[in-house]
Amino acid sequence: MRNFKRYIPILSSLFLVVNLFFYVKNLKEKSSVEPKVVQNIGSFHRESHCGKQPNFLTKLHIKAPVAIDLSQQRYKGLAFLHGKALSKVLHLKTWEQFDYFSSYALTPTGNMFLTPMPYISVKEQTFEFQKNIYKLHSNSGKLEVWLHLDEVHPSSNNPYGIIALTYDCDDNSLWISSLDETDYTHNRGVIYHVDVASKKILQRVEGVDALSLKLIKSEKGKFLLAGMARENSLNAYAIVEQEMKQTPLTLFNIGESTCRIRKISVIGKNQLKLKTIPFSYSLIAQTQEGNIRKTYTVLWDSSQLLWDVTGE
Amino acid sequence: MSRETKISIAILVLGFLAIGLYWVIGDKANYAVENERIVLPHKGAKNFKELPEIKAYLIDVAHVINITHTFLPLAKSELDENGQKVQQILLKSKQFLADIINSKGEMEHNDMMTIRPAIVSVLNAKSKAICNTNSCYEAVKYNFVTNTTTRAIVELKSQQLLELKRFKKMQPDVSQRLRKIAQAIALNAPEIKAELGEEPSIKEMSMANVRGSLNDSPCENKEHLCVAPTFSYHDKEEALWAIVDLTELKLAAAKWAGLGKTATPSCISERSFQNREVMENYCQKDTMHEEDGWKLAYRITGSDGLEIVDATFKNKPVIKSAKIVDWHVAYRAKEGASTLDGSESYVAGRRVEYVKDSGDAFYFGYNDAMGCPMFSTSVVLAFNIPQIRPLIKEGKKIGFYIVQDYRNPKWPMACNYRYENRFEFYSDGSFRVVGVNIGRGCGENAIYRPVMRIDMDLGAESFSKYDGSWKKWLVEQSDFQKEAKMYDNDKYLYKIENRNRGYYIEPNRGQFHDQSRGDNATLFATRYKEGEGEEDLMTLGSCCKLSEDGVERYLEQQESIEQEDIVLWYVPRIQNDARVGHEYCWADTVLESGQLVVKEFPCIVGPKFVPFKVK
Repeated sequence: MRNFKRYIPILSSLFLVVNLFFYVKNLKEKSSVEPKVVQNIGSFHRESHCGKQPNFLTKLHIKAPVAIDLSQQRYKGLAFLHGKALSKVLHLKTWEQFDYFSSYALTPTGNMFLTPMPYISVKEQTFEFQKNIYKLHSNSGKLEVWLHLDEVHPSSNNPYGIIALTYDCDDNSLWISSLDETDYTHNRGVIYHVDVASKKILQRVEGVDALSLKLIKSEKGKFLLAGMARENSLNAYAIVEQEMKQTPLTLFNIGESTCRIRKISVIGKNQLKLKTIPFSYSLIAQTQEGNIRKTYTVLWDSSQLLWDVTGE
Repeated sequence: MSRETKISIAILVLGFLAIGLYWVIGDKANYAVENERIVLPHKGAKNFKELPEIKAYLIDVAHVINITHTFLPLAKSELDENGQKVQQILLKSKQFLADIINSKGEMEHNDMMTIRPAIVSVLNAKSKAICNTNSCYEAVKYNFVTNTTTRAIVELKSQQLLELKRFKKMQPDVSQRLRKIAQAIALNAPEIKAELGEEPSIKEMSMANVRGSLNDSPCENKEHLCVAPTFSYHDKEEALWAIVDLTELKLAAAKWAGLGKTATPSCISERSFQNREVMENYCQKDTMHEEDGWKLAYRITGSDGLEIVDATFKNKPVIKSAKIVDWHVAYRAKEGASTLDGSESYVAGRRVEYVKDSGDAFYFGYNDAMGCPMFSTSVVLAFNIPQIRPLIKEGKKIGFYIVQDYRNPKWPMACNYRYENRFEFYSDGSFRVVGVNIGRGCGENAIYRPVMRIDMDLGAESFSKYDGSWKKWLVEQSDFQKEAKMYDNDKYLYKIENRNRGYYIEPNRGQFHDQSRGDNATLFATRYKEGEGEEDLMTLGSCCKLSEDGVERYLEQQESIEQEDIVLWYVPRIQNDARVGHEYCWADTVLESGQLVVKEFPCIVGPKFVPFKVK
């Protein structure tokens, strides 16, 4: 009996540890099955953008609606479609000199900024073109290199450089993304925040591969939406006092695992429209709507805290 | 403090530490997307057509195609009494059977998949009114050739066809019979057996009902009907998904994946499996191989096809690098040069280059780079992984070869291409660099020129050409093999050697018994220089300027090649042929026994290197 008493502290501590282990195990299992909170930016609505169409369109008596065609299906570079059922075309040979464009942004004075895109095959100048941001002058329609980023390095293993941009009406700046030097295992894309007046790089966020960009204001603040190049997801980066935060909210994934979001539009209250393409850091091939390009409408259901993603 | 108290304190301290550690890292789920393991069936893998279920099925399909000219009906066991009546009605319905024969009068393979009482959600307003008070059935048929699902609504009493809808490029739920066939394929696939490490049993398998509605198929080839039998292991929180292609009756691919929501079969695809396997194991690293006295490494490049590096035979260095960097493809148009606007345009997703010829004729075409399926500038992409197979002559193994298949995703449709890069290694120390073209291209007047780059590793090399006697080339130059009249020993036209050993080069003139019509090649010998192809080359030269092969830029300075590191560029020239019975570099899709079948007519080119000792 005396001997047994000696072992009581040992037995008690063993009992305590074993019980604590099962308690922690139970707690852990419970926590792992709890549903994840759906990441969101709160309610948002469609806002009119401060950008306007280039002045030369007015000079040429081209009236709205005007569509900017970067599809490269019929016209290399850039074309403006207008008239009844957008059947008329304004396209200059000089707009073909830098090959193909991927996205554009309009400013309040009607200037247009464009990003390049490697398309179908690589030629001698293709990689050099991917380092530039282009400007189409509002009054003259002249297309020129606006900013050359020498640090962008496309290659035969990843022909992409600068790819997407969006204009920020709050401070006359551009948010620009590049994908160069990303390889199979590492994201090395960069988001640049560039002041339009001085061409100065205000911020540089590394390790983000964004194939498309869109600024949005919601009840939770200002966000940069990014269609990711490696994943089929839409991410949101908070912008606080014109500075981009580096930790993203992953809002949702689209259904197709091989598709990436190429264009983001806000089409109504809590409603987004997304255009997608298959993307694997290889050359973009000629595609047709409904074939491999797909469109999704996305609704943020603020009552149920759910994203409803529907393919068209 | 007593000894027992000290032990108690130690137990408490260590116990708390262990529990803390467990909270942070312990018991994590086994599943993570990046840990998914992919299993690809090897080319020429098991032929499932010998399985009794499939054998019987194919006999029934042939009977339907050749005798009854209808669809393959469901077995009685799959139908209730009314279902059987509906099937009889549809077997005679001209409307329902309208898509089983094509415009040429050829039968196409169709299976009835399900016949069930119709549910309200599939009925239009008119049918709803009728079916409210009458017994209606929904019948679903699938056309394997056009990848079309047909849905019919039949009212039983009046035997009336109320609705008929055809859904192009959509696949239905499969019949019980096809489910059993899919299960048989999964259970008998050697790749699945190898993964499970045991004889799989049907009890362990669940059949993923991946198309409750008309969903996309889990096959990457969305023109095919695919299903995904699954072997689940709940203790490990993972499952082996076997993707079975019911159009071709084969295992398409398999994947170990988690049991969570993120890994439903609709998110996985044969092509993405292949791409990951190719990227991770062949684009990101070299693979070593040793056989028949040969030791070598191989890899898939970004745009220069399959590359063999650092090959030795019986421990002596032979090849530093061998690869096919490009395929030039040119077509001749007899007239229209005067109407050309610019020197390029785009057709079917490819850049087309134009080069004017004499008169109003011109050449147009492409430069096809072959490479990794991701992170590359290639348009003809690695399809599946490299394969290694034996070379057999008269029943005896005489060596082995490594082959990589490259395809445009839509091959064999027009203007889509398929190439094979093949390297043959013989047990006598000889080797052959082989380019294979399996069409189909855009027309019947194509000229193909694969650009082969072979950097030998003999050291202090000399190069000679035979024209009755061996003549040494002292500087960089080229030669048009077709014009050669004399061959040493009726075989060898060139040789490369050092002081002790060398290799004869035997151009292909059809003597390799592979139905080849010869190389008609241009050979270039250049001195090794950095930036001249040791790394991935961008497109080399013009597709369509037939007077140039693109390599000319490397011998402009005519540098000395005597006792140097010599790089050989060998550019065969092939004319395709689409005439019936004479097809060459061609592929065609034909309907045979109700199924689409691809007919391949490869053209095979490339020189053989035969070793010799310098006397």
